[in-house]
Amino acid sequence: MRYLFLKRFISPLSKPEDSLIYNTSSVMATYQEFIQQNEDRDGVRFSWNLWPSSRLEATRLVVPVSCLFTPLKERPDLPPVQYEPVLCSRANCKAVLNPLCQVDFRAKIWACNFCFQRNPFPPSYAGISEVNQPAELMPQFSTIEYIVQRGPTPPLIFLYVVDTCLEEEDLQALKESLQMSLSLLPPNALVGLITFGRMVQVHELSCEGIAKSYVFRGTKDLSSKQIQEMLGLTKAAASGQQGRPLAPQDAAASCRFLQPVHRVDMNLTDLLGELQRDPWPVPQGKRPLRSTGVALSVAVGLLEGTFPNTGARVMLFIGGPPTQGPGMVVGDELKTPIRSWHDIQKDNARHLKKATKYYEAMANRSAVNGHCIDIYACALDQTGLLEMKCLSNLTGGHIVMGDSFNTSLFKQTFQRVFSKDYNGDFRMAFGGVLEVKTSREVKVCGTIGPCVSLNAKGSCVSENEMGIGGTSQWKVCGINPSTTLALYFEVVNQHNAPVPQGGRGVIQFVTQYQHSNTQRRIRVTTIARNWADAQSQIQHIESSFDQEASAVLMARLGVFRAESEEGPDVLRWLDRQLIRLCQKFGQFNKDDPTSFKLSESLSLYPQFMFHLRRSPFLQVFNNSPDESSYYRHHFVRQDLTQSLIMIQPILYSYSFHGPPEPVLLDSSSILPDRILLMDTFFQLVIYHGETIAQWRKAGYQEMAEYENFKQLLLAPLDDAQEILQTRFPMPRYIDTEHGGSQARFLLSKVNPSQTHNNLYAWGQETGAPILTDDVSLQVFMDHLKKLAVSSSA
Amino acid sequence: MDDLYIKPGNQERGWNDPPQFSYGLQTARGPHRNLLNKRAAPGVGAPPLTPPSSNPLSPPPSGFTPTPLHPARPPLGCVATPPPPLGPMRSQRQADSSQSESEPDVERVVSVLNGALAACRQTVKAQVCSDVEKRLRLLEDSWRSGRLSLPVRRRMDTLSLALQLGQWDSADEIHRSLMVDHVTEVSQWMVGVKRLIAETRKLKPELLEPLQRPADPDQVPAGPDQVPADPDQVPAGPDQDPAGPDQDPAGPEPVQDC
Repeated sequence: MRYLFLKRFISPLSKPEDSLIYNTSSVMATYQEFIQQNEDRDGVRFSWNLWPSSRLEATRLVVPVSCLFTPLKERPDLPPVQYEPVLCSRANCKAVLNPLCQVDFRAKIWACNFCFQRNPFPPSYAGISEVNQPAELMPQFSTIEYIVQRGPTPPLIFLYVVDTCLEEEDLQALKESLQMSLSLLPPNALVGLITFGRMVQVHELSCEGIAKSYVFRGTKDLSSKQIQEMLGLTKAAASGQQGRPLAPQDAAASCRFLQPVHRVDMNLTDLLGELQRDPWPVPQGKRPLRSTGVALSVAVGLLEGTFPNTGARVMLFIGGPPTQGPGMVVGDELKTPIRSWHDIQKDNARHLKKATKYYEAMANRSAVNGHCIDIYACALDQTGLLEMKCLSNLTGGHIVMGDSFNTSLFKQTFQRVFSKDYNGDFRMAFGGVLEVKTSREVKVCGTIGPCVSLNAKGSCVSENEMGIGGTSQWKVCGINPSTTLALYFEVVNQHNAPVPQGGRGVIQFVTQYQHSNTQRRIRVTTIARNWADAQSQIQHIESSFDQEASAVLMARLGVFRAESEEGPDVLRWLDRQLIRLCQKFGQFNKDDPTSFKLSESLSLYPQFMFHLRRSPFLQVFNNSPDESSYYRHHFVRQDLTQSLIMIQPILYSYSFHGPPEPVLLDSSSILPDRILLMDTFFQLVIYHGETIAQWRKAGYQEMAEYENFKQLLLAPLDDAQEILQTRFPMPRYIDTEHGGSQARFLLSKVNPSQTHNNLYAWGQETGAPILTDDVSLQVFMDHLKKLAVSSSA
Repeated sequence: MDDLYIKPGNQERGWNDPPQFSYGLQTARGPHRNLLNKRAAPGVGAPPLTPPSSNPLSPPPSGFTPTPLHPARPPLGCVATPPPPLGPMRSQRQADSSQSESEPDVERVVSVLNGALAACRQTVKAQVCSDVEKRLRLLEDSWRSGRLSLPVRRRMDTLSLALQLGQWDSADEIHRSLMVDHVTEVSQWMVGVKRLIAETRKLKPELLEPLQRPADPDQVPAGPDQVPADPDQVPAGPDQDPAGPDQDPAGPEPVQDC
């Protein structure tokens, strides 16, 4: 506070012209720089960086005008300002003053660049002039963060909901992780504990006396009001309703179930230490009775009654599927297995619809209150993530899937939930509300990401829905620096009334949230892109194509569809889009596939689509419904880099022939004298080629004269560690070699350019043949070219 | 530096469980050495027929003897893959054994902690104090009966020194590292130490005086020698304190320069 913006106005050093606007005559390399700069500064990657000037032209581009947006991207170089944003005075606009606004310094008036309203500056801006501008008018502050000074700053809330139907070893490990987490929480955070098995227990946390708990039957669905009455919370709530809303401090005092960590840590540590496995006997051939549904309902009801609209995190730890009461996913008879994809396709999953509906209702309630729900599921079999995924997907909570709580995968992933940023603040924020404002020629169709609609209609909302649409505001209850939303737009300008040349479209993202240090903050990002006439400037538009962003944006649309449509339909849709894009931008002679060429800005796009088609996000074969849900959960929230790794894993090769280098994700890259490191986001695979494996077996790395070999073996390990240290969630780690059974993880991902079918055509051993009938990228591309150039298509 | 290490994951319980990083390694924020996020550029749809790197049939570039297809030995003395720079993990591998110093003294550690507790008694509720006392006794029992590993004893020694010198953030950070790295050993009593740190840092300076005056003069030289090593062991030092008063404006100088 000492330093920052003591003077509200600071003189700009930057040049006066608008650096946000890109000069269309520049070349490809400049576009890449421009794209990178935009991602670094604003957390935005657009599919097109020049926008087609009419609706018709926009639809012809196949990939919609859309962007990946990371609202809270970490910006160590961007200190928040200690004042509030200046808003446009038009009631249905309220856009935030930004560097793209026209300012009349003499008259002290600014023109809104969304609705063109002329607004007088507030009195505190009296000293404004060309040489004395507030930060929000400077081009380098296209993204700016404001600290809102008013209102209470409620503490963060963490409510642990713990399954006790675990094996002894797992329960012990989980208890220790929970005890450990008390040391990672901020001392003033409120914590609560609910445990469940056949019954649900809400533990009263007090510093003294005997530990008390309230017990609920696990079979009965209770309303929020009933839960609050049974917990004795209604009195406090009623007194709050009469006058002003309940101040969080009052609620804290009145709620015995949520207490500050620094006050109850000793008792809670003991309480956790004394937790026992669910005492009810489990007969042979039965599953334990697990009342996950009621436990969650109690958790959501408790927070709803005590801390509505306050940042809170429900953390659910489960070691198996819900087996009784509302939200049950499978019965307790072990002879009836939990639903598979096969059952679902045959409409043979008895509890699926009912359970999904139950958890969706709960997720929506939780989202209304701004509370997010994490699921930490550790079991060898499925735990019901398919039914419960909405709890996290709609509230921005995490899902972590592991085999056991006693694994480093769980323990470290859980620790990283509490990781801190360069400022020592938690990398988590709560109660985010993202609002999108657009200039008149653009409307927003929807978003795909971990959020719910706030149903805010308005002039910038398109009728054409893509993802979660029909609104210009979304709630993201749990949000972290990597949370990334895909936003889809529509150009609404009519073809016969094109946007004047030189004009530009503007989009503003306003994200309000509760920072982990409990401050309310508002981050505002304003971006502009030039319009281009798609007829005369199609090459410019083409070179403004961001194929990486587009691949991820189209993939999110595909994954969103896959939730409601049959797999083959989604693949057909993706294929059709790809063919149309190639028809639009490929250079070819009609009916001559060999003449087909794509420019540099689209050259990788077909390959991304090839790998996407094979990815677990669209293929359910070999994955359980829970696994598919888990993979998709992470895919629709990660940033561009991580999403692209998920679509097309990264493969690095280590050899004596030079420094480590990226190689094609292709079977031809699997060579005897190489070590490969593959990152699929969920797995890290180190693969030792045949010769390397033999050398390793012979123990050359132990001999002093083969120090170089030892170094070669260590190099990929060190690089893998680098990834392991930062990735959330912790990936699985596979160290394998030629012929090893786990080599399948690599073999199933590489492009099968050599298979048992065409091996002899290759003549010699370069690379490793893959035993598969899957089409290779070459075959895929041949078909794509044929279809793209076909005059009948 | 026994607080920087990697241990293997639990392969018995977790399929391909990743290795586990110590707290010190997880919080060390070095710049990334190698960001592996590049992709090899293919031709459109048609990967080259030869592998992108050099032909495996040819001899290694700097080797003297051609490498046969299935060589019996790795090539000698060519280091095309440069040894990676010494990252935290590397340096740690070498440093692991170098820190076998003297055995930490249980008497000293316990007396510092008890001294801190005594200083708290005037202001802190009796029940809290007795709770803390109970846990300190547990700590002492575990230590004396040999149930604490050497890394835990060492770090407790450093923690008590930090407490004595009023380096609250550092003490708190060591407590956190112990909870993360050795939760099984310490979870029972560490919460008492945690509370002790929190209560002691709130005390008025005059109440702290007895604590900062070492009880046993023989121990004094040990203090200053070990303390300078402390900031290294605890990468997230006092700057990181989330409760720090100057924490709101996040490094604001750059903006003023604008």
